[in-house]
Amino acid sequence: MRRFKLPPQILRLVLLALAIVGSYLVARSFLVPPSFGEYGWYRGDALNLIASRDPVFAGKKACDECHSDILHNLAADAHKTLSCEACHGVCREHCNNPDILPDKTTGSHCIRCHEANLARPAWLKQIVVKDHYGPKCTECHLPHQPNKSP
Amino acid sequence: MGSALAGLLTMSVARAAKAAVQTVFVSSSAPKGYDPTRHKWLMCIDDNKCIGCGLCAEACKKENGVPEGPYYRTWIERYIIPKPKPGSDQTRGEAIVDSPDGGMHGFPEPTLPKDRIEHAFFVPKLCNLCENPPCVQACPVGATFRAPDGAVLVDPKYCIGCAFCIQACPYGSRFLNPVTKTAEKCTLCYHRITRGLKPACVEICPAEARIFGDLENLHADDPIQKFYEKNRVQVLKPYLGTEPRVLYAGLDKEVR
Repeated sequence: MRRFKLPPQILRLVLLALAIVGSYLVARSFLVPPSFGEYGWYRGDALNLIASRDPVFAGKKACDECHSDILHNLAADAHKTLSCEACHGVCREHCNNPDILPDKTTGSHCIRCHEANLARPAWLKQIVVKDHYGPKCTECHLPHQPNKSP
Repeated sequence: MGSALAGLLTMSVARAAKAAVQTVFVSSSAPKGYDPTRHKWLMCIDDNKCIGCGLCAEACKKENGVPEGPYYRTWIERYIIPKPKPGSDQTRGEAIVDSPDGGMHGFPEPTLPKDRIEHAFFVPKLCNLCENPPCVQACPVGATFRAPDGAVLVDPKYCIGCAFCIQACPYGSRFLNPVTKTAEKCTLCYHRITRGLKPACVEICPAEARIFGDLENLHADDPIQKFYEKNRVQVLKPYLGTEPRVLYAGLDKEVR
């Protein structure tokens, strides 16, 4: 019996296949980003990237640090669900430097929520602005304690 | 034979070089001190409470730097259900839906007179945090994904701007950012929740219509716990099989 000899064509084809697969694996190891596949089919670094944005709004808890008396009054009345920044705008700069004042709200800011609109639920007190007493809400209403009068 | 050996040699050299580079430059993937596998975020909407003030849409734009124009990560829709036409045997008329500028600056007076309107309400909308998101499935490169903590996010560096995900989302929650030319959507203010703050829309909502919480770390007074206990809930478009996680209390059948 003659010893079995691998035909050269087979050898060339196998080497070619290995070369193709090998070059694909090399290219892949360069092209796939490092953290890909850490949590799933995406870059794990993306979580860090998305979370690294600086927050803009300060949040009600931040106001409590210096203005706890106002928050105490607020919590006892109908506006207790409001965040300070809903009316006073973004307060982050003010938190860092109290000399920079936030928006004081002009007194007509209230109509954004309280203007009568039939899609608004009935539990919300609504007024028809043009039929109501005066243009400046704060003449008769205290914003932090809306059920009391000044 | 010689070429194969050469190939193997270069591969191992390349791998070693890459490993060396990685140890120098790569940093931990998750934000410092935050383990995404230990949280499960959820936002719920109590639709009986929404007053349509639009503060949430405006706050979201400010918080996330969304460009000016008709691009919204969260928005409010107004549904006006008219009375049925006299003589018809329908119980309700055809719903009229509008969302002027996302509801950011309030809503104009409805064109129908008051006596023709049966019922009207506002519905805030956002990314539904689907368990089986079609947007994640559609992404050809793996730039959008469902994080282990339940948020569906877009990798801004990896997104190629093909907009397949925007087409795929049945809730219309996504848009193409005209400045960065990548897809964008509600991230649940990921940069806030990973630092223990609440999303901007939840923070600012004056009516407590948006309830946010961590299902893995519920405590006794948790608003999400109270929401579950008190409300009968629905989801948007349950028939599509996306398994949305955002729960709505008080939703009407006309809401699409």
